[in-house]
Amino acid sequence: MKEVVRLEKARETALFGSKAVGLGQAMRDGLPVPPGVALSGSVVEAVAAGKDRVIKHVERAAQPLGGPLAVRSSAVDEDGAEASFAGQHLTLLNVPSSEELPSALSEIWWSANSDSAISYRQRVGLFTRPSVGVVVQSLLDPETAGVMFTQNPVTGADERVIEASWGLGEAVVAGQVIPDTYRVDRSGQVLERTPGLKKIAIRTASGGGTVEEQISPELAERLCLDDDQLGELNGLAGRCEQVYGSARDIEWAFADGTLYLLQCRAVTRAGP
Amino acid sequence: MAGVPVEALQRVPLFADLNKHEVKQIATLFKERRFSEGETVVRQGSGGAAFFVIESGEATVFVGGEEYTTLRPGDYFGEIALIDEGTRMATIVALSDLLCYGLTYWDFRPLVEKNGVIGWKLLQSMAKIYRAAREG
Repeated sequence: MKEVVRLEKARETALFGSKAVGLGQAMRDGLPVPPGVALSGSVVEAVAAGKDRVIKHVERAAQPLGGPLAVRSSAVDEDGAEASFAGQHLTLLNVPSSEELPSALSEIWWSANSDSAISYRQRVGLFTRPSVGVVVQSLLDPETAGVMFTQNPVTGADERVIEASWGLGEAVVAGQVIPDTYRVDRSGQVLERTPGLKKIAIRTASGGGTVEEQISPELAERLCLDDDQLGELNGLAGRCEQVYGSARDIEWAFADGTLYLLQCRAVTRAGP
Repeated sequence: MAGVPVEALQRVPLFADLNKHEVKQIATLFKERRFSEGETVVRQGSGGAAFFVIESGEATVFVGGEEYTTLRPGDYFGEIALIDEGTRMATIVALSDLLCYGLTYWDFRPLVEKNGVIGWKLLQSMAKIYRAAREG
């Protein structure tokens, strides 16, 4: 069984983890996911253990992606219904090229075996050997990015709730900005546009990793999405619901004017 | 190459009495881990995930916020929380860039269970800690 595959070939959750398989399914369904490679948990562990043969194999597989790369953990034993490892396992953005990939994979493997990750496992009753798959993708350099709920997660209303900010979506996900908030109904009609206070943008740094860029006061309070983009996001929400079912939590980005899907998962708690 | 260099582990007092073949076997279980100067390596009260031996660099041990000792190459730490599945007894902060070899709980336990020499050395180390605590 192949344990290093192109993302669109990732099918086995037990090997690659739910994030990789979710993105693989999205690619097979024609959703706009950036190209990538999925690595199984045992491959990631072998790289962390310094196994030369596996390291070379992984470097070769990631080479066609060029650089920079987004390297995201995809917990193999993650059970979204019972426990979430969000925030426990590392994601590394802007790994310059496939040559730097092995040390990035080692860091991610250790993040799943860190004291805090293990304490978390003990708390939720999952004191078992962690296995962490990884998704390696070409890193986007987005103008805007954020999250979208295909159904209002607070009221349960049948409307899209979109949060957006400048640069990489991590600023929104990590709560580093007050994002713009938009509500859009299924027909595409915009119900609400509330500008946030987006004082920083997370951008890729030239030597790898990310930097926080200060945003001018004028731009910080200006809406970062127009109605055409909101229409595209509404379309993406509809396609995700067709493929996966209702109540999805989506991470997205606009890069060079194109909308990309970065992650799509079930909302763990919806409705009042 | 897989695991960590055998020579590096042979310099660690805990493994000094093992023969080369035995050290070779356990070297494949260890994984390299680097910490930057100033980084907290383990935090007192947190659950324990791994046992570490220091290859290069130094680290300061704090117990209850008080500086306790300095760890240097060849020293090891983290075994107590792995043995009793309890919490870390000290906070350890990298005094310089630190290169460690780590062994997770899931590899550490079978290693000690299988290897009486390592088990005995760990017991001796525990006994010293116990005696020091008793004698104040």
